[in-house]
Amino acid sequence: MARVGVFVCFCGANIGDFVDVPAVVEEAKKIKEVKYAIDYKYVCSDPGQQMIRDAIVQQRLTSVVVAACSPRMHEKTFRKALSDAGMNPYLLEVANIREHSSWVHQKNKKAATGKSSDLIRMAVAKSIANEQLHEISVPVTKRALVIGGGIAGIQAALDIADARIPVVLVEKSPSIGGKMAQLDETFPTLDCSQCILTPKMVDVASHPFIELLPYSEVIELDGYVGNYKAKIKRKASYVNFDTCTGCGACWLKCPVKVPNEFNMGIDKRKAIYSPFPQAVPNKPVIDAEHCTMLIKGKCGICAKVCEKGSIDYTMQDEIVEREIGAVVVATGYDLWDPKPYEEYGVGRFKDIINSLEFERMVSANGPTGGVPVRPSDGKVPKNVVFIQCVGSRDEAKGIEYCSKICCMYTAKHTLLLHHKVQDSHAYVFYMDIRAAGKGYEEFVKRAQVETGATYLRGRASKIYKKGDKLMVQGEDAQIGQVVEVEADLVVLATAIYPYKDNPDLARLLGISYDKYGFLSEAHPKLRPVETAKAGIFLAGCTQAPKDIPDSVAQASATAAKVCGLFAGDTMKKDPMIAHVNNEFCTGCQNCVNVCPYQAIVTEEIPLGYGFKELRTVAKINEGVCQGCGSCVAICRSMAIDLAGFTDMQIINEIVAI
Amino acid sequence: MIALGQQIENKFLTAVNRKSGSNILECYQCGKCVSTCPVSDFMDFPPREIMQMVKLGMKEETYMANSMWFCLTCAACSGRCPREIDIPRVMEAIRHLAIEENVNSDNPKVKQIRIFHEIFLDMIKHYGRNYELRMMAEFNIRTRNLFKDMHLAPKALLKGKIPLGHEKVKSAKAIQRMFRMAEKLEKTK
Repeated sequence: MARVGVFVCFCGANIGDFVDVPAVVEEAKKIKEVKYAIDYKYVCSDPGQQMIRDAIVQQRLTSVVVAACSPRMHEKTFRKALSDAGMNPYLLEVANIREHSSWVHQKNKKAATGKSSDLIRMAVAKSIANEQLHEISVPVTKRALVIGGGIAGIQAALDIADARIPVVLVEKSPSIGGKMAQLDETFPTLDCSQCILTPKMVDVASHPFIELLPYSEVIELDGYVGNYKAKIKRKASYVNFDTCTGCGACWLKCPVKVPNEFNMGIDKRKAIYSPFPQAVPNKPVIDAEHCTMLIKGKCGICAKVCEKGSIDYTMQDEIVEREIGAVVVATGYDLWDPKPYEEYGVGRFKDIINSLEFERMVSANGPTGGVPVRPSDGKVPKNVVFIQCVGSRDEAKGIEYCSKICCMYTAKHTLLLHHKVQDSHAYVFYMDIRAAGKGYEEFVKRAQVETGATYLRGRASKIYKKGDKLMVQGEDAQIGQVVEVEADLVVLATAIYPYKDNPDLARLLGISYDKYGFLSEAHPKLRPVETAKAGIFLAGCTQAPKDIPDSVAQASATAAKVCGLFAGDTMKKDPMIAHVNNEFCTGCQNCVNVCPYQAIVTEEIPLGYGFKELRTVAKINEGVCQGCGSCVAICRSMAIDLAGFTDMQIINEIVAI
Repeated sequence: MIALGQQIENKFLTAVNRKSGSNILECYQCGKCVSTCPVSDFMDFPPREIMQMVKLGMKEETYMANSMWFCLTCAACSGRCPREIDIPRVMEAIRHLAIEENVNSDNPKVKQIRIFHEIFLDMIKHYGRNYELRMMAEFNIRTRNLFKDMHLAPKALLKGKIPLGHEKVKSAKAIQRMFRMAEKLEKTK
């Protein structure tokens, strides 16, 4: 005979104000199987849980119903209370009388009370059919995949590898380093970006627990948390990295010149190239799109000059497979294309550049040797206008969000300009100065006072050409007057935009992304590092605009998550998954097709009854099944049942109302 | 429209900074001075805007403003300024620069205030302290408004607010010497 205990929670005023809780308790007591019913202010509190534990022992309960908030909130809490009292935790049922009753029926207490009683009656009926379930153990492959070799990916890889967990770091370009490698100095301390990044890059290359796969892309991910299988395409580099010494003879002699992406197209690189001198690995690759040998079959100079014979024009893309347990996605960002800003003359005026181009120019290892120049005539600019929020916070032409870092790097750029060109003057059009961060406000003040930069509050409205100067018009809202600045160079602080292949990657990984293409975290506040898919984590600007400290912090957070996931040899998994009853299964395989997790396969079993033939039945992979119930619904012969939500339990619930 | 960018150096800003001892670049335009100021309603540009105009090097517009003449130097603004800018001294610096560069506002109120300042200083220079009866008389003569506030005189006299005797400090000579030295210093600068 079932003995059910019912615990009704007031949830302070959340339930108590809109539901007559004592009446609900009285109603529950009328149910035949309910041997014990009580209310309490906060059942989730420690005394509340103690009530449950005591009642289980004293009343010899066979199942427990807690009528409170959503099971998403406190199901785990109450399950633990059950197991602490020596009861199987899956004998708990939660009747959600907060989200499903009190909150939505605040204007009708009587109806809310009645509905709460109904919900409890259903939960009691279901709990009677509850079975004892036990957590499932799934083996874990202790190897992590990090996608993207920028600062976030590098930090995540290093932190995971330092915990002696093997890491596969996949980077699509020939070298790791990402956007940070392109920066000159970093706010708010003005440390040289290269000086703090390149040691980390070298650490990645030499770390015994990191397998670095440059010039590669992830093309497929199968499996489930702890047991993923990744297919990685290693793009043909046409250079044998094992024998190449990185001497550079090939790219010195290569006759083909191509705009240099690393320097934002300001100078040229060769068709065989290494992106920058501090590249890791410091081995060149051949750009198949531009190499004349690969296009027309003529040239071959690099192969002639290579003393090691490392050039191999016949190299093909190679697919490698890695078994991994967790994935960190750190694909970074792109700059937003300011083309819609026709009023600024983007594309028409040569002397309008974006901030990353300016960054490359003032960079000590940049194409102009650290001095900003006008692209039109190569002269050093004196008056430089910086326009912030180009694309950011612009619903009409750009995107709604704030790119977060532009205020800071523009302040940095005024300082860099001041350092590189002594007799220059910076004008900054801004909307707000958003300098939230350690040392940031101080840095902006330093930039303003030290450089004497003129900060003008307002969006520039138009730019036109006058002689060889650019005239930038805007309002200074601080004095309510229109200003016009005669500029030699205009620098646009273009918005951070998600890396363009993010949606494709998200589909490939089975995770979600927002309307811009940023990958979505599981919870904006409490799970900012996880995705909705177990075992896949996010680091850096792939999730939202971030500065370097934030990216590094998030990367380290992903490492902690990965290490936590890999802490045991097996992973515990919820037992509420589907099971096939082979007696009833007809082998129709409808379930195989509907399963969104590819958790169902078929197997051959003996027909039985003395027959030698085999028959096909469905088989569910315990590790992959997420308990969604799709297969249960589609099964014609009712051969599949979902533990914790069996047909019997659900029928009981329906009968109870 | 304000044209910017013709000159790299903002000489006006440098001059105001030097004279006032504050760095106006520190101003982040919060407006606390404006809401603090008891006379900002009467100014054509409240203190915050004056700061921005100096930053933009708008010398002529700043000189023609009445703000620095209306400033009471009560220092409520500087007491509350989060950037610790001595705003009354900035106002004073702009007044001085305007006088040095011989810029005269045609605003009648500003003219009167300037005359008042001049008479007051003159009085101190000669007698070491203010002699109010004479001050009033001289002000009325110079502003060509002889009977201004005359109706208040009997009442004030009865209450002893206007001493009839000529007040003078004992060492007026010393004060005159101080003025001479200050003028000398001003010239050598």
